[in-house]
Amino acid sequence: MTDTVTLTIDGKEITVPKGTLLIRAAEQLGTIIPRFCDHPLLDPVGACRQCIVEVEGQRKPMTACTTEAADGWVVNTHLTSDVARTAQEGQLEFLLINHPLDCPMCDKGGECPLQDQAMAHGNHHSRFVDEKRKYDKPVAVSAQVLLDRERCVLCARCTRFSDQVSGDPFIELFERGALEQVAIYEDEPYESYFSGNVIQICPVGALTSTSYRFKARPFDLRSTPSVCDGCSAGCSQTVQARRGQVERQLARTNMAVNEMWNCDKGRFGYGHLTADTRLTSPLVRSDDDGEEPVAADWATALTRVRSILAPDGEVVPTAVLSGGRLPDEDAYVAGKFARTVLGTDDVDFRTRFAPASEGDALAALAGRDTATYDDVEQAGVVLTVGLDPEEEVPILYLRLRKAWRNTKARLVSVGASSGSLAELLWRRLPTDVGAEAAVLDDLARALDRDGDDADQSSPMVAEVADALGSVDRPVVLVGERAGDGALAAAGRLADALGGKVAWVPRRSNARGALDQGLAAGLLPGLRRHDDDTQRAEVAAAWGLDELPTRGRDLHEILTLAGKGKIKVLYLLGVDLVRDVADQRLVDKALRRATVITHDIVANATTAHADVVLPVTASQERAGTRTNWEGRRQQFRPGVAGPQLVQHDWEILVQVTGMLGHDLGFTDLDGIRADMAALAPIDTTPDWPAAADRSDTAAAADDGDDTLTADVYPLLLDNGVHQVNAPDLAATAHDPHLRLHPDDAAPLGVSDGDEVTVTGGKAELTLPVRVTPDQAAGTVFVPANSTAPDQVDNPRHLGDRVTVAAVASGSATADQPVEVNA
Amino acid sequence: MEFLGPILFLLLVVVLVGIALNTTVLGRGMAMPLRQMLKKPSTSQYPEQPRPVTPRFHGRHQLNRYDDGLEKCIGCELCAWACPADAIYVQGANNTLEARWSPGERYAEDYQINYSRCILCGLCIEACPTRALTMTHDYEFSSDTRRGLVYTKDMLLAPAPEGAPDTPHRDKDVRERGHNYYGGKAVSPPGLHGGDHLPATARTMSRASQVLPMAPESEADWGDAPGREED
Amino acid sequence: MGLEENLPSGILLTNLEKFVNYSRSASLWPATFGLACCAIEMMSMGGPRHDAARFGMEVFRASPRQADLMIVAGRVSNKMAPVLRRIYDQMSDPKWVLSMGVCATSGGMFNNYAIVQGVDHVVPVDMYVPGCPPRPEMLLDGILKLHAKIRGETFVEQGSK
Repeated sequence: MTDTVTLTIDGKEITVPKGTLLIRAAEQLGTIIPRFCDHPLLDPVGACRQCIVEVEGQRKPMTACTTEAADGWVVNTHLTSDVARTAQEGQLEFLLINHPLDCPMCDKGGECPLQDQAMAHGNHHSRFVDEKRKYDKPVAVSAQVLLDRERCVLCARCTRFSDQVSGDPFIELFERGALEQVAIYEDEPYESYFSGNVIQICPVGALTSTSYRFKARPFDLRSTPSVCDGCSAGCSQTVQARRGQVERQLARTNMAVNEMWNCDKGRFGYGHLTADTRLTSPLVRSDDDGEEPVAADWATALTRVRSILAPDGEVVPTAVLSGGRLPDEDAYVAGKFARTVLGTDDVDFRTRFAPASEGDALAALAGRDTATYDDVEQAGVVLTVGLDPEEEVPILYLRLRKAWRNTKARLVSVGASSGSLAELLWRRLPTDVGAEAAVLDDLARALDRDGDDADQSSPMVAEVADALGSVDRPVVLVGERAGDGALAAAGRLADALGGKVAWVPRRSNARGALDQGLAAGLLPGLRRHDDDTQRAEVAAAWGLDELPTRGRDLHEILTLAGKGKIKVLYLLGVDLVRDVADQRLVDKALRRATVITHDIVANATTAHADVVLPVTASQERAGTRTNWEGRRQQFRPGVAGPQLVQHDWEILVQVTGMLGHDLGFTDLDGIRADMAALAPIDTTPDWPAAADRSDTAAAADDGDDTLTADVYPLLLDNGVHQVNAPDLAATAHDPHLRLHPDDAAPLGVSDGDEVTVTGGKAELTLPVRVTPDQAAGTVFVPANSTAPDQVDNPRHLGDRVTVAAVASGSATADQPVEVNA
Repeated sequence: MEFLGPILFLLLVVVLVGIALNTTVLGRGMAMPLRQMLKKPSTSQYPEQPRPVTPRFHGRHQLNRYDDGLEKCIGCELCAWACPADAIYVQGANNTLEARWSPGERYAEDYQINYSRCILCGLCIEACPTRALTMTHDYEFSSDTRRGLVYTKDMLLAPAPEGAPDTPHRDKDVRERGHNYYGGKAVSPPGLHGGDHLPATARTMSRASQVLPMAPESEADWGDAPGREED
Repeated sequence: MGLEENLPSGILLTNLEKFVNYSRSASLWPATFGLACCAIEMMSMGGPRHDAARFGMEVFRASPRQADLMIVAGRVSNKMAPVLRRIYDQMSDPKWVLSMGVCATSGGMFNNYAIVQGVDHVVPVDMYVPGCPPRPEMLLDGILKLHAKIRGETFVEQGSK
């Protein structure tokens, strides 16, 4: 038996793999059979019947999208067969019977497959003379998606997407016959992070977008291929602008990354570009403190920056915090600016307090061939460590789900919680917050053993270890929340298994910042500060005798700034007030140090700053972005942006000039040439060795009545992407706390009850969800959430907090929880 | 008799001149202006007495209204699409229950024709699905600035018919009037649906049991959806 | 100006302006500058049917030295633009430019690399006449509006052109 079949389509012979659908075989010959319901990434369903072809020897015409090609078949499409053509015309007439033909009003008009095919393959006259079916329209399926049931041709693409791809089957076909319609369950809102995709794949105008409603026509729009900056997924997207304003963003097909999908944050999160709070000119605070910074021209602002950075001609001690969103080029410029112009190595791209060992682990990671989306899909066993993929990197969640659905991949979660991934998990290895490394080391030990010390590891660990050993290339994905040593432990485990590891940060270009050496101890091109040769190499390339001495990390920088040892904080799109867990530290630092910040939208930190320099957003600039896989993707501007804003690198080049230095480039090509001189070296550093963990294990066992806070922001929080995007913000999941049933039971709380978390002086009251996915002894607290009173809530990952039920009439509930760790 | 000589001479001259005018080249050339001198001049006295234009003359555009004052334009941009000179700018927007400009879901929030580009070809008129856009016989719109050649919606919109209120109308009033806006030309005249989409917070998604009757009793019923009664 | 001192200020000058402006507007001689199809309508305007002579502008002068008004009739290609500018420069002051038809006004439907997107990129324009091509009456309308504009001009404005 061969695994290919040979058939003839429209007189042309073609050989295709067995199982290929007729419609795909025809595509390979360049014949596009009209279709509505067929989608390459969804299971065939044959709902619309538009793709009818004639197969010789078969009694009736057949649907090409559900029929697998068979050997020796002679297939005639509408191009050669009258039977197929009349069948298609008839089918189109049927589809149009109840279609309202309100194309002039419809947002899909001009890019509508139904319109196109009615023109190309349809009968130009309808024989239908009766009243058409009427529905109320449009109905808001969610804040972002509007449903017009009159236009629907019941192709079931949307319902299949929800069911098969995103796994939020809130949208479904109801009723039968002429009244069959798409609807949502009455008591469950269509709550999905991927709802925008159903708008894009709808072949008619039945599902349209609220934010794009009546905004433009396809011929108005200027499309630019771009890369999303919402998270580290690195989705390809198309930015569509009219009159210099972004009107819509679509997922762009990139089968290696986002396939044909993107998430709602990436799709609808462009309102901040035109928000009222958008920074459109530099702001400078007058010399007497206390006032808000006021608008100034660039000359004034840059002169002020010079007098802040070098009041007496000498550069004062300064730290550069770059955030994880700068494109690679800007990140490189920031690094060079800090080390050559400011003469400091106090740079950090992180906005969280990282364990000291992370630098070594990240350096080891950056030099390696890390896991990709395809590796995840084909791994067979995927271990996620301290990661909630749907909330952190949604497209990775889709790929994990695809692996789970198509190849029955076994997903294992290590950590305090895994969010919505819990539904797909094969095994769960719950740990305390930040204690993931111990379990990973256990797994490594369980793999090592030859059956003799099996009693040392728990049966679950042994089972997972067996599974990991049973596949060729397992993948270990480590989230940035994973605790001390987890990344190194995961790396060692993956190396031992012959699999791959990947570090999945949240910020869109955290990986790029790593490659450009935006952390103390790291240098561009995977070089290390503590390696004399590599340091000399960088110094030579930058025309320095010696690089500044090794700098400090975020925690130390803020501490020193608070003590006045670091005089100036140079922030590149970092909102310290929002992002950094320790507000007391931030408060002190902001008050003591002079702050220069680059930002897009006004926020709490820009209000504290002495000079605010407005910069372009992702859609307004060109650059390169590195996603969590380490895949570098270039993007170019879709719109020009406000007149007075500049790119980060442009500003840094100008500030350099003001200080009497020269970075050696004045355009993007120059930066790239400069970067090429420090191209990544070929290095594969060893992972840091496992630490002795006996004392930390003991600390977790101290049996007090507190829980560990598992703090991370949800996908739709109070971030920049939700500014001026009310439809997107309205679909944010309600902020909630999560507790393990064992922790909830003593409190007497169940799903939906209000619970107060108290850590130090800060407290937060939110509804609780009781789920076994949350590890016992931990409580999930959403950071930067849409809940009110966010400024003073417990948000330090790993903080010890107490949890109490909110008294609602019953006096018994108001007690701190007793935790048996 | 002494007068006969000169008369005969004059006659002879006239005959000879006549023969010369008719037979010689020079004479035929002179005959034309002589004949024309006797005719009324055909010059049109333009500013004072402009000549009427043909009925289908392509002049300045106009955005029409229905008898009740609602605008015919639904902001579909088909005119802009058809325009070979890219002279039309339309921005659609959503009709709401409080403010309805046109029947259906959509209306033109802004409508501009740039007469410094418009070639008055009339393709936009052919493209217009609601006969909202037509052309008038007005052609006197020279301007000494380019900006003055950009006509905005308020300049293009026909005045509201006598007795009819200017737009926007309240959705409730429009429904009460029960006007058939498409004059029975469509198989199923689009109703007034889409005055507003149901807000996302009130998720009273209608199931099939709540579907409209298949055959409305009267025109007034079109678009009156269950669950959409206004207070 | 000795007279000024003996008269209430302004009287003589404004009246002179009016007189001069009337004279100028009443004998506005156009330069022949037909570039495309609009020129056919421009010729028609000069013919007996529409008879521009009624407004004192019967002679289209082939020499720019003898013309006051340049009617740019048709699309100005990038190749023609310098020629147009030279002819404009050769016209003696005071002089006016009328852009006839949408192509001269803004490039019209020829939004491409070959056509100047509006003759006002090359010379200052006093009156824009839309249409493609404008019928002679539209051109006359533009000319009459230009006449009115000339009558309202001051010497200072003309001098500053």
